[in-house]
Amino acid sequence: MTEPLVVADDLHVRFATQRPLTDSLLRRPAPSVRAVDGVSFAVSPGEVLALVGESGCGKTTTGNLLLGLIPLSEGTVRFEGQDVASMGRRQMRAFRRACQIIFQDPYESLNPRMRIRDIIAEPLRVHHVAVNDDDEQTRVRHALTQAGLAPPEVYENRYPYELSGGQRQRVVIAAALTLEPRLLIADEPVSMLDVSIRADILNLLRRLATESRIAIVMITHDLATVSAYADRLAVMYLGRIVEIGDTRTILSDPQHPYTRALLSVVPTTDPAARQRPQVLAGETPDPSRIPSGCRFHPRCPVAVAACRTIDPALIALGPDHEAACILVGSGPIVRGSSSAGR
Amino acid sequence: MTVVAEVQSRPTTIAAPRGALRTLLHHPVGLAGLIMLGLTFFVAVFAPLLAPYDPYDTPPVHIEDIYQPPSPEHPLGTDDGGKDVLSELIYGSRVSLIVGFTAAAIAIVIGGAIGIVAGYKAGRTGSALMRFTDFFLVIPDLALQIVLVAILGPSLVTIIIVIGILGWTTTARLVRSQALTVRERKFVARAHAIGASDWHMIRRHIIPLVMPLMLANAVLVISLAILSESTLAFIGLGDPTVISWGKMLNFAFDRGAVSAGAWWAFFPPGLAIVWVVLATTLLGTALEDVLNPRLKRHHLEAGRDDVVRSVEPPPAVMIPTANAPLLSIRGLSVEFESSDGPLRAVDDVSFDLARGETIGLVGESGSGKTTAMLGLLRLLPPGGRIVAGQALFDGEDLLSLPPDELRAFRWTRLSMVFQGAMNALNPVQTVGGQVTEAIRLHDHRISKDEANRRTADLLDRVGIGARRANEYPHTYSGGMRQRAMIALALACRPDVIVADEPTTALDVMIQAQIMELLGGLSRDLGMSTIIVTHDLGIVAQVCDRVVVMYGGRVAEDAPASRLFAEPRHPYTQALLEAFPDVAHPERELHAIGGTPPRLDAMPPGCPFAPRCAHAFDRCDTAKPPLYPISDGWAASCYLLDPAHPAPASPATHD
Repeated sequence: MTEPLVVADDLHVRFATQRPLTDSLLRRPAPSVRAVDGVSFAVSPGEVLALVGESGCGKTTTGNLLLGLIPLSEGTVRFEGQDVASMGRRQMRAFRRACQIIFQDPYESLNPRMRIRDIIAEPLRVHHVAVNDDDEQTRVRHALTQAGLAPPEVYENRYPYELSGGQRQRVVIAAALTLEPRLLIADEPVSMLDVSIRADILNLLRRLATESRIAIVMITHDLATVSAYADRLAVMYLGRIVEIGDTRTILSDPQHPYTRALLSVVPTTDPAARQRPQVLAGETPDPSRIPSGCRFHPRCPVAVAACRTIDPALIALGPDHEAACILVGSGPIVRGSSSAGR
Repeated sequence: MTVVAEVQSRPTTIAAPRGALRTLLHHPVGLAGLIMLGLTFFVAVFAPLLAPYDPYDTPPVHIEDIYQPPSPEHPLGTDDGGKDVLSELIYGSRVSLIVGFTAAAIAIVIGGAIGIVAGYKAGRTGSALMRFTDFFLVIPDLALQIVLVAILGPSLVTIIIVIGILGWTTTARLVRSQALTVRERKFVARAHAIGASDWHMIRRHIIPLVMPLMLANAVLVISLAILSESTLAFIGLGDPTVISWGKMLNFAFDRGAVSAGAWWAFFPPGLAIVWVVLATTLLGTALEDVLNPRLKRHHLEAGRDDVVRSVEPPPAVMIPTANAPLLSIRGLSVEFESSDGPLRAVDDVSFDLARGETIGLVGESGSGKTTAMLGLLRLLPPGGRIVAGQALFDGEDLLSLPPDELRAFRWTRLSMVFQGAMNALNPVQTVGGQVTEAIRLHDHRISKDEANRRTADLLDRVGIGARRANEYPHTYSGGMRQRAMIALALACRPDVIVADEPTTALDVMIQAQIMELLGGLSRDLGMSTIIVTHDLGIVAQVCDRVVVMYGGRVAEDAPASRLFAEPRHPYTQALLEAFPDVAHPERELHAIGGTPPRLDAMPPGCPFAPRCAHAFDRCDTAKPPLYPISDGWAASCYLLDPAHPAPASPATHD
C-alpha cells in the first residue's frame, strides 16, 4: 500500500455545553459533549474510505476535523506527514487547496446569485491560480467536463436554479476539482438526489479516486451506498470507530455487534439475502452522557458483565480488519451465533 | 381540524434580482408607489420650468398679496410673504428628496456595514456591535435630532448628517439577522473550506444576498428621513435659506394662516408630505414582497377538495387480486392550474388495496405519488383538482362524498401520516393530550376516561409508552415524534393508513423500528397500509405489493416478490439497477440517463420513453395502458402488448 495521505491520530473534540446560571455560580464544571472521542484512521491516495454511522456518531465532525475547520481538543491530523495544527499561514493555504469538501445539499451549496462559471472559478480566484482570464476559462471548462457537465459552454453561463439536483451536485464537484485536490471529503454526497441519478455521482467520485488518485472520505449514513463504492469502511458509534477495515470483509463478516445490527436493518431488495432485522431497542445516547465501559453495552444484544467496565480498544482481526469489542477474536459471538442466516 | 401540514424544510430563498423590476411593475402597489415617486422626481428636477414663479425671488411684499385665496394667477393662493404657494410647493420637493435620499444613503451604509459585520462575525465582535446598536435604538431620535441641529446650526448639510447618523439602527438589526442566515448556508461553509478570506466571503456571498433586503429597507428609511426633515423644519429647525414643505407648514402655523382661514397655506404642503411618504412606503412594501417572497405555499397548507370530473372514469384494466379490494382507485387524474394551462400531475392511476395488505407506492420526486394520495384524500393544494377517476372505498366513491361526510371519513376510516409531519406536533400541548383530542373530536360520545385509556393503549402500541403521555413534543426524539404521529393517525382506528415517506430523515435503526411498527399494525390490527416512498429497500422489506409510478402514471403494479425478482417495465428494471444493495456490493450500479420529465414538458407518449433503452416509435405517440401479465401483476409498456409485439423485442424482457 502507498504512503497514507492523511493520518488521523486519536482525534478528540469536546464541546462545552451551556450550563445553568446556578451551576456557574456554584462553580460546577460545564458538562462537555464528547462529539469525537478517540478516532484514528489513515487514508491513502486513490482510496475511498467511508465513515458510516447514525446521526450524532461524530462522522461529520470528524470530516470537519480533517479539514481543520474546527479545532481539535486532542490528537493530530497529519497531511502528507505534516501536522495540520502547526501549519503556518502559507502551508495552511496550500493545505486548503489540497483538500476540498462536498456537502450533502446541492441546493444549499451553491450561491443562487452566482453563475456556474463564477462558482467554479471561485476557488481559482481565492488562490490566484489562473494566470489570466483565458487560463481561468480553460480550467473552468476542464473541471466542468471532468464532472460530467459536457459540453461546458452549455452550463457555464447558467444560474444554479436552472439546473437539476444531479447537475448541481456535479457543479459542486467541479468547483472542488479546479484546485486539483488530493483529498476530497464528501459529506452525504447523494442523499438529497433522486435514486435514479445517485449512481452517476457515485461513479464519478469512484472514477476520481481511481483515475486521479484522489483520496476520498465519504461520510454517510447509508451502508448500501457505501457497499458499492468504498474500499474501506469505518463504522462509528458515539464518537468512536467501532469497526474498520476492508469493505467487502466487513460486509461479509461483520464482527462488532453494532455493525451486525446495522447491517441487518439495511433494507435489501434481494429476498434471498434478507436477514431477520436485528432492531436495536432505544436510541443512540446523548454524547454528553456516554455510557461507562463499552459505550455500546446498554443496547448491545450480547453484552456481558465486563462490558460495563472495560472500554475496548480496536483489536486486529485480519490484515485489514479491526473491531472494538472484548468479545471478538475469542468471545462467544464469533463462534457460532452469527446473526447472518438466522 | 383535519390534517397536520408538513413543515417547510427549505429556508426562505430570495428571488433572483433579474426580473425583480419586471415583477415590481406587475405589482399594483409597487407600480403605484413607483409612479407617485417618479412624479415627485419629475417635479423636483423640472421645478424651474413647472413653477409659475421663482419662490427665491424676493420682490417687495404688498399687504394685499398676503394669504390670497386660490385664483387663476395663483392656483394655490399665496402665503404669509405674498409668495405663490404652488411654486413653493414645487421647489420644496427638491429639499425633501435631497434630504431623504442622502440621509438614507448615510443610514444604509452605516447600518449595512454594522449589520453585516455583526452578522458575519457572530461572536464577541457581533455582540459588542449589537449592544452598541441597541444603545442607539433606545435613544429617542427626534429629541436627539432637535438637540444636535440646534447645537450645530440648522443648515441642510447638518440636517442630512444628523438624520443619517441617527437612522441606521433598524437597518443594522435587519441586515444582521439576514447575514446570520446567509452565513449558515453551505456555500459559505464551502468557501471557508477553500480558504477564502473574510473579505472575499462578505463581498462575494454575504453582500449579494443581503442586498435585496437592504434595498427594500432603504426605501422605508428614505420615507422616515423625509418625515424627519419635515418635522425639524416644522418646529423651526429647517435650513433658513431653502424652501421646504416643513418650513411652509412652520410659517403657516406661526404666522396666522389658521386664524386667517388660509387653508391653502398649510393644506398643500401637508398633503405633499403625505404623498411622498405614502409613495415610498408603498414602494418599500412592494419591494419587500418582490425581493423577499414568503415561503412558497406548500402543497399541504390548504385543504381543498375540488373534484371536476368532466368525463366518467375510463374503464381501467381490472387487476384481479385474491381478496376483494377494500380500496379501489380507478383512473384517478389530477391537474394543476398554471399560466400555460392545466398540467397533469397524476394521469389515469388505478390500483387496488386489499384488507390487511401493505402496498408500496414507489417513485422519484415528481412522479405524482404524493399528489395521487392527496387527491385520494381530497386534500389537494390550491390550483389542483381531480379531473377524472373514482376511489371506491368499500363500494363508496370517496371522490363523490359531500364535504362533511368526507371529514368524518378521513381519520376514522382512512388517515394519512404526512411527510415530515413529526415536526408538526403542537409544541404547547402534551403528546397524550393531542391524541386524546383527536379521539374525542371524531367520537363525541366517548367519555374522557375512556379516551384517556385509549390514548394510553395507543402510546404503548406505537412504542412510546403510556408514561410519556404527559410530556411535550420537544422532549421527544425524531423517531419518537414519528411514532406519536402514527399514534395520532391510529387514534380513530382507521381501516387504511397512508404513510408518506414515513422514515425519510430518520436514522437507519430508527427507520427499522418504524417499519417494524407499521408492519405490525397491519399484521395485528388487520389494517391496510399504503407506504409512499422512494426507497425500494423499505418496500422490499415490508410491502406485499408495489405500485411503481413514473411521470404521473403507474408503470408497474406487481407483487413485491415478483417485482424484485423479474421486473417487467423498463423503468422498474433501470431503477433496480441504479439501486445500491448491501447484499450485492460487487454489482455495478447504473444511473438512468436523463432526468424525470417536468410537468410542463410531458412527453406525448410513454413518459419514460425519452430515457428508455428499449423505446420504439410507438412509445412516442401514445401512452401505453396497463397490460396484465399475470394474477395481480401489470405493467404499462408496449413491449408487453400481446396484440402488437415490439418490432425487435429485446431479450431482456423475457
